[in-house]
Amino acid sequence: MRLSAQAQELLAREYVLGTLHGAARRRFEALLPGLPGARTAVESWQERLGRLAEEVPAIEPSPALWRGLSQQLFDPPAAAPARRGWRWLMPALGGAFAGALLCAVVLTQRPPAAAGVDSAGGVETLPPAYVGVLSDATGQAVLAASSTRHGRLLSLKLLRPLAAPAGQVARLWAFPADAAPFAVGELPASGKAALALAAPAEQLFAKVSRLGVRFEPAGGLATAPTAGELTISGPCVKVW
Amino acid sequence: MPTPTDLAPLMARIALKDRAAFEQLYRLTSAHLLGLASRIVGSPARGEEVLHEAYLKVWQSAGSYQAAVASPMTWLINVVRNKAIDTLRSGASERASRVEADDDEIDRLAGAGDEQDEPQRLLAGHLARLRLDGCMGALPPAQRQALALAYYQGLMHSEIAEQLGAPLGTAKAWVRRGLGKLKDCLAAAGLEAAP
Repeated sequence: MRLSAQAQELLAREYVLGTLHGAARRRFEALLPGLPGARTAVESWQERLGRLAEEVPAIEPSPALWRGLSQQLFDPPAAAPARRGWRWLMPALGGAFAGALLCAVVLTQRPPAAAGVDSAGGVETLPPAYVGVLSDATGQAVLAASSTRHGRLLSLKLLRPLAAPAGQVARLWAFPADAAPFAVGELPASGKAALALAAPAEQLFAKVSRLGVRFEPAGGLATAPTAGELTISGPCVKVW
Repeated sequence: MPTPTDLAPLMARIALKDRAAFEQLYRLTSAHLLGLASRIVGSPARGEEVLHEAYLKVWQSAGSYQAAVASPMTWLINVVRNKAIDTLRSGASERASRVEADDDEIDRLAGAGDEQDEPQRLLAGHLARLRLDGCMGALPPAQRQALALAYYQGLMHSEIAEQLGAPLGTAKAWVRRGLGKLKDCLAAAGLEAAP
């Protein structure tokens, strides 16, 4: 196929703009290596139209984006890399089991006096509790949340920093199986914290199977988060 | 937006698989590129998926970046826009009913001579604006809107026609003429060599 210089220019400009699409786009890309004139035209148009991008307001990415990238490139897990949304769809059992194991470690490392109002027994005994482990899109655990079964405090431990964008807060949401999601409270940026619960954990979390965190304006958002809006999420399970 | 002076040395180091340089490039460019990707694919969440793929490509292909051909930011914008357009038009979003007959475009142009009507001279040298937005502003509103919908939202000709309430052929002509005028305007403004 022979393309005139003018045809190459016309295709190049629509290719860069994006209006050349489908099979034509693929064919043009395949032809490019053999068409120096078209390559030059594409580069010129990328330079011209690239200036349009200067006007677009920047959006700070969530920390999960860099974590996912660096893990996939520099620290790949043995299994296939997780994609966004995958954990949400994962059958609850496997995740719940991993969550219980991780939280058991968190709980046994804490002195029993700090475990909650109905903590019973010594360090060898795990009290009945609700536990959750929330992970990012790459499957890395970010937050451990736990409360004794009848406690009114939710202990939070950030396993990795979770920095909200400027002017926003990280809010923890619970997703009951039979009711609308509800906000539990705000997270610290790092370290540990205890959230006072509006009611005993048993009342709040008995039907909750998932927990998730969304970045929100300081005043909060009225609408419940969708799965795609959650920065981290994970199973909430009963340990008793 | 970061300057080429900031980014060019980083690109050279990334080509040598320097992780610290890659992270620095990410810190300097990701917010700007996410703004762009989010406009095209419709939400920051989907924009982040585009950026994930784009930065993987940056890490893998930094060696093919040629400083003599494009500034680093232009190269990055191109990687991100191509990924965003692919994402937008993959799967369900490229519905058969919306696919135009552009597949014939290359064949058609292959048979076209240099006399092909291209509006090269519509804005002669009297436009001395130095910035692209100036040249965009100088376009007739329909052409400007058509280009903006294509560039910022990744719309195809048929979608542009639908949005602007015009026949498909008219929308195609707006895009074609708008690009031609833009090129002339920028050349006239002294931003690049005249064609």
